[in-house]
Amino acid sequence: MSLPASTQPHAVPVPSPGLEIRGVSKAFPNVQALNDVSLDVQPGEIVAFLGENGAGKSTLLKIINGDYQPDAGTLTLNGQALRFANPLEAHRAGIRVIYQEPEIIPGVDVAENIYVGELPRRGGFVDRRLLETRVRADLDRYGFSAVLPMGLMGDMLSPAQRQLVEIMRAIKSNVRVLALDEPTSSLTDDEVHRLFTLVRRLRDEGVAIIYVSHRIREILQLADRVAILRDGSLIAVRPAPDLTEADIVRLMVGRDLSAVLQRRRAVTDRVVLRAEHITSNWHHDVSFLVHAGEVVGFAGLVGAGRTELAKVVFGELPRDSGSVFVDERLVSIHRPSDAVAEGIGYAPEDRKREGLILMRSVLENASLAVLRRLSRFHFIQRGLERRLAGEYVERLRVRTPSLEQEVGKLSGGNQQKVVLARWLAAKPKVLILDEPTRGIDVGAKAEIYHLIDDLANQGLGVMFISSDLPEILGLSDRIYVMQNGRISGEMPGPGATEEKVLALAMADHLSRADPEHQSAAPAEGLPG
Amino acid sequence: MSEARAGDVDLPATPPISPRRTALARVASILRPMVRFIGAENLSLVIVLAIEIAVIVSQTKFFLGQQNLLNSLGQNIAVLGVLAVGESMVIIAGALDISVGSIAGIAGVAAALVVTGTGSMPLGLLAGILAGICAGLVNGSIVAFLRVNPIIATLGTFAAFRGIAFLIAPNGYPVGVGTQPDFTWLGSGRILGSASFVGIPIILIILILVAIVGHVLLRYTDFGRSIYALGGNATAARLAGINLSRVRLGMYVFSGIAAGLAGVLLAARTTSGSPLNGQGMELQAITAVFLGGAATTGGKGTVVGTILAVLILGILSNGMNLLGVQQYWQDVATGMLLVTGVAVAQFRALRSERARTRIASRG
Repeated sequence: MSLPASTQPHAVPVPSPGLEIRGVSKAFPNVQALNDVSLDVQPGEIVAFLGENGAGKSTLLKIINGDYQPDAGTLTLNGQALRFANPLEAHRAGIRVIYQEPEIIPGVDVAENIYVGELPRRGGFVDRRLLETRVRADLDRYGFSAVLPMGLMGDMLSPAQRQLVEIMRAIKSNVRVLALDEPTSSLTDDEVHRLFTLVRRLRDEGVAIIYVSHRIREILQLADRVAILRDGSLIAVRPAPDLTEADIVRLMVGRDLSAVLQRRRAVTDRVVLRAEHITSNWHHDVSFLVHAGEVVGFAGLVGAGRTELAKVVFGELPRDSGSVFVDERLVSIHRPSDAVAEGIGYAPEDRKREGLILMRSVLENASLAVLRRLSRFHFIQRGLERRLAGEYVERLRVRTPSLEQEVGKLSGGNQQKVVLARWLAAKPKVLILDEPTRGIDVGAKAEIYHLIDDLANQGLGVMFISSDLPEILGLSDRIYVMQNGRISGEMPGPGATEEKVLALAMADHLSRADPEHQSAAPAEGLPG
Repeated sequence: MSEARAGDVDLPATPPISPRRTALARVASILRPMVRFIGAENLSLVIVLAIEIAVIVSQTKFFLGQQNLLNSLGQNIAVLGVLAVGESMVIIAGALDISVGSIAGIAGVAAALVVTGTGSMPLGLLAGILAGICAGLVNGSIVAFLRVNPIIATLGTFAAFRGIAFLIAPNGYPVGVGTQPDFTWLGSGRILGSASFVGIPIILIILILVAIVGHVLLRYTDFGRSIYALGGNATAARLAGINLSRVRLGMYVFSGIAAGLAGVLLAARTTSGSPLNGQGMELQAITAVFLGGAATTGGKGTVVGTILAVLILGILSNGMNLLGVQQYWQDVATGMLLVTGVAVAQFRALRSERARTRIASRG
């Protein structure tokens, strides 16, 4: 920025409209991602966006950044209407969104990474001296010369340094609106502190700042105003000093699914899956158990380590230590085929990449986990295969013209059902469902809820990972909450509230560092 | 599931049935099992083959002679066919085996050495196949356990195996087997010959047997299913509980066996176990598999398609020989055929991809 900090004290609001979002809506197939959102972000203020996974924060950022075009509504900046076909046009207008994983060119140093695309030139060659003078001036001004050596190569940068490079790119091109998407998720406390200093300074220089985070405490420290989204709608915009953590959690939650959920089951005492002291690259000493006939919900924010936990138990990801028991018998699982042989099934989160062979038929996909059992002397008994696959395809009401249909040609909900049919045919003792309802329509969701209920009723143990809190609360007999590679809490499903779960899921790292906060983190004090 | 399947829809279900429709239905009921065997995706290959034959037959009367069909053509495509069936397995699994020509070289030398030492054709055959199994185990282990990219792994063994073929040959010289009629019978013998019939070449019968084994393995066994799954989406296959290391090892062993057998046949046909045998044939085999409709990314392809492609390539070369076209033109034609064939397949895949996204966006 060209203006010295002292000329723009942030306490005096500048009478300029800044970024105005008016009536923005955006729909994707099967979901209304944003619904008539209107909001202002003024120069010299920090507005935080808060919401559960899938509340619409990312969609809104992508519209601001020009990645998506809104179906309805307008954006204006300082009174001028904006309509971006792509992120480059947004950059030119002075809008920058800093994502968690900025694009850094690995084989190029910090200085050239910052000026990528606009390197100063002299006679066809890069003017290295001018480049270094400029970069040094920028880094000195914000006090980053020590943290971000400009000769460092792109692939040597830490996550924090990568974000700094991206922010420096924005500053250099005279940014007027700066949005940060979960910037602190991979930063240390010290780096967070430094980032906050930078963000405050940019605000004081008159930049309009949007700050997206799950960490309520951070937001209350940093933001001037807080905007809360839920199911694509803007629920509230309040000045940060007027809000408490409890207020925020209460505003974020509140969807009701009781109409589509039902629960009738008899949890037994038999433990079908027990994991003890699992430690891995992603986890610290995680222990949990699943009973026969029980649905055990795993709640937590994206990145808390739930999917990784499932994969470690299933043998897809390596573990450093810890044991897994099936039916109270210690089993050794080194690869997924071991887990399947022990009676564990895993329906992955990303069904297209990890669940299905898209170019093969419904039949082949449905029978994939039971090929051995269907074969005699390695010859597949085709009649048996058709009967088995057909039975589950019909039971799950997979809408497909025939068993020979290529799975890739089915809709998302039906694809998910094919994955489930595969595991039902395998008749496991424990079934791990990782986000089984992500990206599928409401009708198919209800069918899958029914199915989970049915399965538990028949004595299967279900490990149910979901980022959709209402469905976790509605279906689970017991809930583990994960946060940052640990289990931060456990509670019975009936009686659990979104507030309690969210408080545990968001117990942020500030509280982890401080044992006194740790004990205060659980939700006792929160209204429910 | 209800019994009505998409394939049955075109059959007239309700009276009145006109005589024309029943005749059509009868033709359809004869054709359907044939189409099912060949595979709908291979129909374009059949059409190409038919056009090719029609063009050649219109130009020369020699093509349809027994001598040409069974000897020149039948014997010439057999070695390539056996190699290509083995290669199909690996390519459908999304990998590649560049070393098959070199394996054939080792197997030929090994078989020739054993045959000249013992005088026993079965022992020679066995030696060649064993050499193929060992080579396949080496390839498979490198890919499955050392996790080396298949192209790199077999590019390495492509060179190494050729070196080994020279090392085991005495002073690097070819081992002549002209004095072993039992053994050369594998390459140029015939059965069922008579005054009016030249007989069916043994080598062609072996190709047919190998093709049947390959087809059955791929289509009817859990191993074959695992190969399609591995090629279609390795992560999904692994997460469905398939032991991928075992599949990778198995497919390279199969490819090694086929290459070993091809090496034996080549030595028997040329009456010489030369360490140079099979040079360049890996590329012809790979060409045939891709022309036969296998996807470069894996997950698609059939033995029937590969055999059809081997026929197309063999007939192309045979026909051009009969017509006196220079060898260089044959190479140009083979290259163009592969590129055109794959380009057409890509175009069709793109079209079906578009159809798929249309369905997806409709929800």
